[in-house]
Amino acid sequence: MSSVYDRIGGEAAVDKAVDIFYRKVLADDRVNEYFDGVDMDKQANKQKAFLTMVFGGPNNYTGMDMREGHKHLVARGLNDSHVDAIIELLGGTLADLGAAPSDIQEVADIANSVRDDVLDR
Amino acid sequence: MTVIVFDDQKIELESGQTVLSALLDRGYDIPNSCQAGACQTCMMQVVEGELPEKSQSGLKDTLKAQGYFLACSCEPQTPLSIKVSQAADLRSQATVVGHDCLGADVLRLRIKPTGTFDFYSGQYLTVWKSETVGRSYSIASVAKRDDYVELHIRRIKDGVVSNWLHDEVKVGDELQIQSATGSCFYIPGTPEQNILLAGTGTGLAPLLGIASDALHQGHSGDIHLIHGALTVDDLYLHQLLIDMASQHSNFNYYASVLKVEQVLPPVTTESLQGTVLAVADDPADWKVYLCGSPEIVGQLKKAIFLAGASMKNIYTDPFISAHSS
Ligand code: HEM
Repeated sequence: MSSVYDRIGGEAAVDKAVDIFYRKVLADDRVNEYFDGVDMDKQANKQKAFLTMVFGGPNNYTGMDMREGHKHLVARGLNDSHVDAIIELLGGTLADLGAAPSDIQEVADIANSVRDDVLDR
Repeated sequence: MTVIVFDDQKIELESGQTVLSALLDRGYDIPNSCQAGACQTCMMQVVEGELPEKSQSGLKDTLKAQGYFLACSCEPQTPLSIKVSQAADLRSQATVVGHDCLGADVLRLRIKPTGTFDFYSGQYLTVWKSETVGRSYSIASVAKRDDYVELHIRRIKDGVVSNWLHDEVKVGDELQIQSATGSCFYIPGTPEQNILLAGTGTGLAPLLGIASDALHQGHSGDIHLIHGALTVDDLYLHQLLIDMASQHSNFNYYASVLKVEQVLPPVTTESLQGTVLAVADDPADWKVYLCGSPEIVGQLKKAIFLAGASMKNIYTDPFISAHSS
């Protein structure tokens, strides 16, 4: 079974998605405090890893990695509302890229499947 | 089975094994994270050999040109010699061939390296005052055009190296320098692309280098250079840039000056960021180079990205304090 990653066009599409998604994130006051002020190139690379993962592309992340990777953000107050916002921005990004509603739902489901890990509970 | 050379060791790769996995198996502590070619944590540099295309996928063009690759995506088919990035400090000698004051506090230093010295205009090299005290300066000259390497040195209050270069070093002296690095430079291959160059202070040195290199290589797209300054006295290459603009129809120069009495183009009182956004009103396909004060480089980077420039096309060289003092 092919993944959303393959259907939207693989790595080239993810590269495009990073720019779109990152622009949305920086412009969104609900979540931008978590992404601002750090090395933008490094952030963009991490977002590429993030998008590749939630699009069902090749990755080796485990739930444990998600837990460790976001612990410092949970300590700063990361909660369900932020995950909801990120999933919404993800959907917007995919819509901009012309993805089908069913694909957007599939990506939201993948993101939701690690919600508890990301929020360390 | 392919062999790679790392840390003076020959390491055999099983078929289908990546460079990263082989190095980790051998106990090398190579930084890594996603292991899928996305996060770029495991970036290394090739010394000799041919890289598989996949191992450079997603990297900035300037990094590709310098042989950087991702160890986790690298399954070499032929022998490869590699190193961790930023390795091997190579010091060499250079003779001072030019020493001129430009404006109030900027020195234009021209040096001639002994032997071959590879660089791209816009990269920086380190000048050593002694065994342990050195500062990096960006390169404003063009390798294929000039027979010297040009650096712009701002006099920093109590700056050990800058004051020494300004006051004691003279034409004919020998200096210790170190190989050029940095990923802020011109990449040929898209001659029609528009280029934006913006920066403050002696951030002008790499910007001038990149613009001159582009023009020298026949770039045909528009090139816009914006120098941000506090006063007109800080526009230390004003006339040279005006002349450059009249010689090259696709080169444009703007000076954004905070405190100025008489406003005559190319001088504007619009802020640097305002000027950048006005000049590049649709930067989606532009290449963007930003150099100078780290705060301003950071602000401009975010502004131009939000205006539509692609992350991959933005190259920056924030001058951290030891760099240039
Ligand atoms: C919805 C589920 C989420 C998933 C699947 C996810 C996934 C990821 C992944 C794969 C990385 C890269 C880790 C690495 O290789 O270093 C990452 C990093 C990051 N994530 Fe998430 N993330 C999620 C939610 C969020 C939320 C809600 C926020 C904040 C609003 C957030 C903020 C960050 C930040 C700031 C980083 C970079 C951390 C650093 O600089 O080290 N993430 N995420």
